Order: sequence, then structure tokens, then C-alpha cells
Amino acid sequence: MSAILQILFDALSLGSLYALGALGIALIFGVMRLVNFAHGDVIAFSIFALLWPSVDVVARVGAGNLPWFLLIPFVLAVGAGLSVLAELTVFRRFRNASPATMMIASFALGFVIRYFLLMLYSSRPKSISLLPALSQPVEILGARIPLLQVITILATVAILFGLTSFLRRTRFGLEMRAAAENFTMARMLGVRANRVIMGAFALSGALAAAIGLILGSQTGTADIQMGANVMLMAFIATVIGGLGSLPGAVIAGFLLGAASVVMQVTLPIDARPFRDAFVYGAVIAILIVRPQGLLSGRGTKERV
Amino acid sequence: MSLLALSDVTIRYGRLTAVRNVALTLAEGEVLFITGPNGAGKSSLLRAIAGVTPPAGGRIDFADHDITGRAPEDIARLGLSMVPEGRDVFASLTIEENLMVGAGMHVKESNWRARVTNALEEVYETFPILRDRRHAQAGLLSGGQQQMLVIGRALMTNPRLVAIDEPSLGLAPNITDQVYERLIALQGQRKLTLLIVEQSSTRAMMVGGRMILMRGGEVLIDGDARAMGQSEAMQAAYFGYGEH
Amino acid sequence: MAKRTSIAGRTIATPLILSALLLAFALLAVMVGSKPFNQTIIDIFLRVILVVGLYVFVGNSGVISFGHIGFTCLGAYAAAWLTMPPMMKQTLLPGLPDWLIALQLPYWAGAILAALWAALWAGIFGKVLMRLSGIAASIATFAMLAMINTIYSNWEDVTGATSSVVGIPILRSIWPFLIAAILAVFIAWGHAISRTGLALRAARDEPTAASASGIDLPRERLIAFIVSGAIMGMGGALFAHSIGVVTPDTFYLGLTFITLSMLVVGGMGSLSGAVLGVLILSSLIQALRWLEAGVSIGTSTFAIPNGVQEIALGIVMVAILAFRSAGIMGNRELGWPKARPVAPATTGQQQPELNKGVSK
Repeated sequence: MSAILQILFDALSLGSLYALGALGIALIFGVMRLVNFAHGDVIAFSIFALLWPSVDVVARVGAGNLPWFLLIPFVLAVGAGLSVLAELTVFRRFRNASPATMMIASFALGFVIRYFLLMLYSSRPKSISLLPALSQPVEILGARIPLLQVITILATVAILFGLTSFLRRTRFGLEMRAAAENFTMARMLGVRANRVIMGAFALSGALAAAIGLILGSQTGTADIQMGANVMLMAFIATVIGGLGSLPGAVIAGFLLGAASVVMQVTLPIDARPFRDAFVYGAVIAILIVRPQGLLSGRGTKERV
Repeated sequence: MSLLALSDVTIRYGRLTAVRNVALTLAEGEVLFITGPNGAGKSSLLRAIAGVTPPAGGRIDFADHDITGRAPEDIARLGLSMVPEGRDVFASLTIEENLMVGAGMHVKESNWRARVTNALEEVYETFPILRDRRHAQAGLLSGGQQQMLVIGRALMTNPRLVAIDEPSLGLAPNITDQVYERLIALQGQRKLTLLIVEQSSTRAMMVGGRMILMRGGEVLIDGDARAMGQSEAMQAAYFGYGEH
Repeated sequence: MAKRTSIAGRTIATPLILSALLLAFALLAVMVGSKPFNQTIIDIFLRVILVVGLYVFVGNSGVISFGHIGFTCLGAYAAAWLTMPPMMKQTLLPGLPDWLIALQLPYWAGAILAALWAALWAGIFGKVLMRLSGIAASIATFAMLAMINTIYSNWEDVTGATSSVVGIPILRSIWPFLIAAILAVFIAWGHAISRTGLALRAARDEPTAASASGIDLPRERLIAFIVSGAIMGMGGALFAHSIGVVTPDTFYLGLTFITLSMLVVGGMGSLSGAVLGVLILSSLIQALRWLEAGVSIGTSTFAIPNGVQEIALGIVMVAILAFRSAGIMGNRELGWPKARPVAPATTGQQQPELNKGVSK
């Protein structure tokens, strides 16, 4: 029983990360058909923002010393700010470019962000003790679950809930959903393109920062590579969820997390190191069966 | 003073010229049909007016503003509401949400709800079927209902001019009749200016108003729809179809 | 057939000019005669092979592939298996079958077999993946890359997992790399003007018309996938021989993105663009490296800080794409002066498949 509970929490907390990442990618894809490869680097940047201005190996100065109720908004604002800056300086020039061009531009931008961090902090991971109180385990129905896992899941649920009601209940959210579905039509109804795209970038950046916070607290380190892995899985989740579909991205993110964790436990010992290969194989299988994604939400028409 | 004026408008897609030196004016309150065969450039013209494909040459004025090359949202905000071909409903949004997208775009956040509620009431009055299904996903509606939805959605923006591309496309004749009936009634009530693109001129002749016949990217005839029905020029133009 | 030779005649200028360009780089290396510079030029030729290989599929089909470096990985390890001294294989890769451990081929035979090995897997993966199109296909190729990487990073006995496989014979001469790069250019050209290459580009530019005229798209794509897989495999083998060490992560995201970037910056739909993209970005990288190492101007040494090289590279890439979103060459090819510069690529507007539905 407690073993199953442990697996469940593992799956949910891993899935949370993927879901948040997928959501960040899907938000931007929805409004401008950009597959944003810089997303992973925004994640890394947000967490490194805590270290600034120190570049020491064991660093906890600057923003890292803030109490949590200031720290969290600060990091989210950094992510959102960087993301909006990326839109203003780079992506705005690519509105009419082909998705391939935009994708490569986003990669190039990610490259710039990554090496900027590298230049400041070198490639060695920095240890940070972010919210150390969270690393203690708690007992839930006889299983010892790290408190951080519980908080990760709760935070994700809260974020999803907040985002959903933002998209459903506010005028801006409505405009965003309409724009994600048919951008030109939305503009013909007076929805302002720049505002909506900027909003999508801000939200996406804040989501990236949230992932950065979770990863930073989980691993106790700030690593330039930390965004990359989550981003890849998130990217895949976005596609199998049905590109542009926000609920699809979330569901697929949790699904991928669950698949990874379940395969980790059920695969024979010899095959375990190859777990991810099986996950990727499953991704290909899903795409073959449903190329438009699991929840394309737009009927049978393939959008891309 | 005309509400909409095009002068010397040319539209190109790559090397292909879709519309060539078209000039036309539309007065406030007028109903104008643009008809003509496939590939005549009707939809291209509409897309240029709405700001979706900027013209390669010429000038478009709407409500005392030069809107040539302006963004679609700016043009919409001046009061030109476009209903594109194929009834582009936001399929995953509910009917009510679809209607709300462009509603009260000039209104401040705080007054928005109230304003939207009023506008919704008016649209529901005109299209009761939309009220009945207000919380259904728009993608689930039938073709005729979707057509009513997009017209209703255009009205929600409180427009001065509504431009509609092929409202009868894919609809059964009796449904088309209904759509037109509402449209013309609305035009009377709200003093709307209507710009309607249809492939066939029969509807224009039934409804009446002014009609333009386009072919090969140019305006062939401009005149009263009913009078044109009898004219020889009209028939010659239609008989010319088979040539290419 | 007559038509075919005329296409070849009209377009042969492109591979010839590109080969001459590559030869010029090789001669430059000979003239400079420094070891590091020699290595730099070898690296450039390797990237030419990989980017041209990528072009064969991506350029002609319009489908972005993230997976091709997987074939490079397959080729590199195949070369390691085939050319390392048996003694070293015995200790480093004991899981290999005995006959393979005993085998030691010359590098060129190893490279040919590596190309075939990569082509075989391209055929197997392609059979499944080519049914997809657009972004689903791109993601599937990506999953393929990740799958290959995961397997090679964990199969201790056969690939040495994540640790480096050393002892691969190192080639110091520039010529094998030059010949392979020119070979890749000619294969790409030959494919582009073949019936299947033309059909594939027709389908890229006019999807509806192409399917109406009976083009079997999955089949044409599969052929391009296999041909490009073979080139990537060959490139992988030579890559292994250029540094003498392979690890799975050498052939993963970093290389995938740098090669894709070079292709897109050069012009995705153009063979000339593929080659020029490599030459231009590589020259830029090299110039920045020199600056990083420090340049003496008069009495003072001027050096840019570490990391600026990559940052500048990224900014230049963004700038090139912002001004020429179809890449430096767009869809055009290099030709003789005055001749109409429409070689392998068709004249149609380049429309990668991902683009569909974007501007509706």
C-alpha cells in the first residue's frame, strides 16, 4: 500500500513538472505557432537569478535571502520579465516567419541565455539551499513522502486552478483562448495581437520560473542544464497533448510523468536503464495512432 | 460622405495578381453585394479591407481613416466587423464566449461585464437559438447555427460596417433564407452598412440593394441588383464563364 | 531519360561550385600548414557532410528532423566497432560478438559499412515515421534521437555507456574528409534531381497538387530519409576518426541544433545554402575563437571573455534570420554567372510543412 502511494506521489510530482513545462510551451505555441526552445533556458535563468550578484560555488546572497513570500514572486517576475523581453527583442521580428525559422531563432536565443549564465557562473552546478524546511518527509497513510513532493503537487494544482480560472473568467483570458484557436479571426474582432502575445510570454515565463523554483528546491543546486530535460519532456507532452491545447498539454505531461515512474518500477531490472527509450517508443506509437495529439480539441482537422 | 472607399486597390499573392485597380465606395447604411465567379478576387478584396492581406497598391479609407496596411485589430476597432468565409467560430469556446470575444472592445475593464450583458441580450433576441445553447461548444453547432453565431459575434462589436464572405456557403436554401431575413432586418434596425460577398447574383437580386460584379480581379459592373438582373451586360458577363 | 540528362546538365554547376569552394578551404589549410588549423578545416568538412545529409531529408521534404544526429551516432559507434584494435574492444566493449571483436577494417571500409548500418536503421525507423507529417513527424524523429541516445548511453557492454570509447584510429590528413564532403554534395545533388527528389520537392511546395498527381509521399520521404541517414552515418564514422573518441552525448542535442541551425541559416531548401551555412557559421565561430584566445593589436592584446563567442554566434544567427527568414540562400542555388540560378530546388515559394495552417 505505502509502496503504491509512494509511486503515485513520484508520478504526480514528476508529472507536475512536465505539465507545467508543457503548459508554458503550449501557451506560446497557441498564439504564435512558435515552438519555444528557449523555455528550458528561461527555467535555468530564473533560478540563477537567486544567486545574483554572487558567482561563488556556494552562494546564497542577493535574492536568495529573501523570505519565501517575497522570493517566490521575485522569481516568477524574473521568468516573466525575461520571457517578455525575449518577445520584444527577438520574436516580434519573426511574426511572419515560418515555424522552422522561429524554432531555430528560439534555439539561438536559448543559446545566448545559456552562455550568458555560463559566462557569469561557469558550468559547475551551484549549491543553493532553497527553502530547506521542505526536504523533510511527511507521513501519509503510512508512506514517508518528502514534504517537497507534496508541495510540488499542491502548487501545481493551485497553478493549474488559477490559470484555468484566469483563462475562463477574465476578458484577457478569453481573448487569449480565442487567439490560440484562430489568431486572425480574433484580431478581426479587435483583439490586440501584441497584448495577447505579450501576455502569453509573461505567463509562460512565470511558469518556467515556477519549474525553476521546484527544481532548485528538489535538487538543492542551480545547474545551467537543469531546464533542458524538463523542456524536452514538456515539448513532447505538448505535441502528444495536441499542439496548442492547454488541457491536452497538462494531461500529456502527467501521463509522461506517470509512464516514466511506472516503467521505472515495472520494467525488468536489466531493462531499467533503458526506461526512457521505452517512454520515447511509446511517444512514437501515440503519434502514429493519433498524429493530431490525444486531445486536439479541434475535431479531426490537423492543425500543423 | 462615404463610409468605405477603395481607390486603385491591387492585391498580389507572389506573382499572382488577385485584384487589379479596384475602386469602389460604400455609403453609410447601404447594402452592397459583391458577386462573381470563383477566383474573381472577391474574398481577396474583403481580406484586404479587413487588414488580413495588405494590398500591394492603392488606398483604403474607412470612417475617415486611411486604413491601408493597418492591423486587423485596428480596423476592427474603427467599427468594421468581418465575417470570413467558412464561419470561423472558435470551436472549443462556448457560444456565449464566442460572442464575448469582440464585445465592448473600447469599454474599460470595470464596465465590460455590464456592457457585454446588454449586447448579449440584443443578439439573443435576434437569434433565440443561440440563447438556448449558450453554454454549448460552438464546434458542435450546425452550419446554419454557426452562421448565426458569427453574424451575432460581428454585431457584438457594435460595428458600423459588417462585411460577410459567402453567408450561404454550405447552407440549405431555407436556412440561407433565414440568415438573410435576419440580416436585412438587422440592417434596418441598426442602420448597419452591409458588404456581402456571394458567388451567385441571384441572392442579391432577391434581396435588392447595390451589386458589383467582379471577374478576373476587376469590377465589371456596378449598379442596382434588381435592375441588373434584366440587363444584357450582366448576362453577357455570366455567359463568359466557360471561356477559361 | 533525355529530360533527366538535361536537368543534370543544367544543374551540375551547383555541386561543382560547391566542391571548388570546399577544395579552396582544403588548399587554405595546406597553405597555412598549422595543425590546429588543419583540424579546424576537418571539423568544417565534417559539418558539411552532416548538414548536407540533413538537407537531403529536411530540405527536400520540408519536414524538420531532430533525429538525424541519431544516425550519426549509429555511424560513429559502428566505425568504432569496426576499426578499433581487437585488444581494446575486448576490454572496453566486451559485449560485442566475437567475430566483431576480432575484426579490424581500414577506416574507409568502416565508413562505408557505417553508412549502410545507419541507412538500415533509417529504413526501419523511416518505415514507421514517414507516415507522419508536419510537427508530429518532427517530434517523432526527436523521440527517435532520444531513444538512440538512451540506448547508447546505457548499453555498457556494447557501447561503453556514457564513458568515452577510445582507441579509434585517428585520421590527420584532410583529404579523406574533403572527399567525403564532396561525395555528400554529389549524392545530395543526384538525389535532388532524381525522379524521387523532384517528386518530394513538388509535394513540399504543392502538397495538394502532388497528392492529386499520385505521388506516394511516404515512399519518397522514406527514400530521402534513407539516403540522408546513410550520409549522416558516414559523417558519424569520419567524426569518430577525426577525434578518436566517441561518447553518446557528442551526438545529441548540441550537434543536432548546431547542424539544424546551419541548415536553416544557410537556407533550408537549398543545397548551396546547406554548404554555405556551414562555411559562414563555422568561419564566424573560428573568428570568435581567435578573438577569445586574444589578438595582438600593436602592443596590447585584445581578448573577448569566455562565453562571448557563443553569445555572439546566437545573436548573429537571430540577426541573419530576422533579415532573411528563408536563410541566406532562400530556395536558390549557386549557378554559373548569368545562367539562371535555379538548380535542384524548384522555384516555388519555400513552405516548410510546419507552416501549414499558420497564416489562415
